[in-house]
Amino acid sequence: MEIVIVFIALLLSGGVSFFIKNGKKGGMITLGGQIVAGIFSLLLCARTSGGTALAVLNFFYVDGLTAFFLFLISISSMATAFYSLWYFKDDENTGFYNFLFNIFVFSMYFVVTVNNLGMMWMAVEITTLSSAFLVGYRNNKTAVEAAWKYVIICSVGITLALFGIILFYYTGLTQAGIKSLNWTQLNAAGNFLDPMVVKAALIFIIVGFGTKAGLAPMHNWLPDAHSQAPTPISALLSGALLKVSLYAIIRFMIISSKSVGFSFCGNILGLFGIISLAVAAFFMLVQKDIKRLLAYSSVEHMGIISMGFYFGGKTGVFGALFHTLNHAAAKSLMFFSSGVIIKKYGTNNMHQIKGALEVLPFAASAAFLGMFAVAGLPPFSIFMSEFTVLYAGFKGGFYFSSSAVLVFLAIIFGALIYHFSGMIYGKKPSEMFRIKESLGITVLFGVMLIVLLALGLHIPEFVNTLIDSASNVIFGVE
Amino acid sequence: MHIELMQYGVLLMAFAMVAAKRFSALVTSFTIQSFLLFILTLSEAIKTGSTQLYILAVLIFAIKVIGIPVFLGRITKKIKVPDEMGLYVNTTLSIIIAALLSGISYYFIRNFLPSMEKEAGIALIIALSVTLIGLFIMIFRIKALAQVVGLLIMENGIFLAGASITGGIPFFVEIAVSFDVFIAVMILGVFVYRINSLFTHIDVDKLNELKG
Repeated sequence: MEIVIVFIALLLSGGVSFFIKNGKKGGMITLGGQIVAGIFSLLLCARTSGGTALAVLNFFYVDGLTAFFLFLISISSMATAFYSLWYFKDDENTGFYNFLFNIFVFSMYFVVTVNNLGMMWMAVEITTLSSAFLVGYRNNKTAVEAAWKYVIICSVGITLALFGIILFYYTGLTQAGIKSLNWTQLNAAGNFLDPMVVKAALIFIIVGFGTKAGLAPMHNWLPDAHSQAPTPISALLSGALLKVSLYAIIRFMIISSKSVGFSFCGNILGLFGIISLAVAAFFMLVQKDIKRLLAYSSVEHMGIISMGFYFGGKTGVFGALFHTLNHAAAKSLMFFSSGVIIKKYGTNNMHQIKGALEVLPFAASAAFLGMFAVAGLPPFSIFMSEFTVLYAGFKGGFYFSSSAVLVFLAIIFGALIYHFSGMIYGKKPSEMFRIKESLGITVLFGVMLIVLLALGLHIPEFVNTLIDSASNVIFGVE
Repeated sequence: MHIELMQYGVLLMAFAMVAAKRFSALVTSFTIQSFLLFILTLSEAIKTGSTQLYILAVLIFAIKVIGIPVFLGRITKKIKVPDEMGLYVNTTLSIIIAALLSGISYYFIRNFLPSMEKEAGIALIIALSVTLIGLFIMIFRIKALAQVVGLLIMENGIFLAGASITGGIPFFVEIAVSFDVFIAVMILGVFVYRINSLFTHIDVDKLNELKG
């Protein structure tokens, strides 16, 4: 029943905030909606993460894998709604923003909880459509260009994925007589599916949903959309949306593993993963725009997660899922803190941002520490998950690709240090003065940093259970 | 027999769209193609007597044969851009590429789905060809509106793929997909307006401020 309350809460807060002119009040209502939805989805997590699967109304299906993504979406959306409140504090007429924000979060919850794969496809498309106007929110030339590319490229990808879904339906129907697209039914009949059809379908599905997940070379929309969207939306795109698309791929990977094994899906993901790392490393070196830098860093991290699935085994999948969580936390922190800096300096250009530590000590320190977290330096948790993925790679005998990952990580680390030290230190422009920073936002940064540190030092029991039960679903362990 | 003929008609319309130089011709071909899909669904509905297929047929007619073409027609009238679409590759070469794409689809389906029965196999080959041709039109036509139609062509191809499987894909999925497409076209239409008013053109090749 929790799941119904989640959706009602989001629809209500979306509907009400649409009519609120005042930015602060609308933001409060949206935040309230996210908190109610978040609490109930966390309750649902708690109930299912032990390994019990729930079917609700014969339409929703919640198991360990869903629980993991529910956790991710609820935390990201609550943090982002809180940050939006600050980001739009001086703006009027944010009703449209708040409305779309709620629908966007709604559709992400829908993707991970719905049982029917056709409906899941529809929900992924709705995530694109509802966030299109959020990306183009500023309505200037660059924002509209980014939004246009975003909708067109993602819709094309998703249309190709639909072809793959139809092929899955075809083989389910002819080989196992299933007249339905329910994941539970297709998964139960996984052994009977025709391997050739499944392979053909998987190519379409991974390319299709991979476009939305930001895997290179289908990533072209991502830097544009991330750099032009309002900062809270950039954080939500990076932290939650990319992973939700990955969730769709994982669902199909589970079904297909019974007929063609994990390696087929894993190999394709590995190919895209290594290309993503290479592309990201190059573009991060030459980047000028801070938000594009962070966007390419998301491409990189999606690449690492894909590599985790490629290396496979319990360790690889654990690393990939753990990395999913860490990346969401670290990248949200990066977007949030850079958003504060960008708002003060009025530019995205990293060459024009100097001496941020003097002007905005808290935000700048958060950005600098967050940068170390994103770059994967110990003791932050991203180091642990990257280490786990690489360990799986070397243990599994993938020496060449694991070494390649290491090289790209080193390049990216250098690029991040180079760009950020210029912004944080350096001489501040003479017309800039230190300003008072919002207490709420500073506390948010502090909490996120502590989470990243704590996860790096010790994985708490509940996070462990979440990841374990998700990976049990992937490997089909009852 | 006539069903097969319709399917070839759908493919023929895809080729007509590749050959089209003007946006109005593109929309006309798209309307005919959607009409053929409507007839296909309707004849399937009559054959099986299923209410769901009747509803689906009505929906296709309302959305794809009337709604979307009228909507596209209104946009073109309002934004007053030249009717030429702007081709990256000329018509002859486009048709050769489209034929190649059909060949690839044939090869792909025959290799991956050799066990498929003949009729369904042909329908799926046509469906995949139409989808790829739609993708081709999206990439190689300059005007933003042509990309919208390209997406619709792709969706028509996917629809044919779903219909070519015995019994079609589940009804409410089909409904959800058509609804989604409709919303997508509306949103893209709004963006075409915005692009036109901000840039005073709708040439996507000039949308290149963001790079690197």
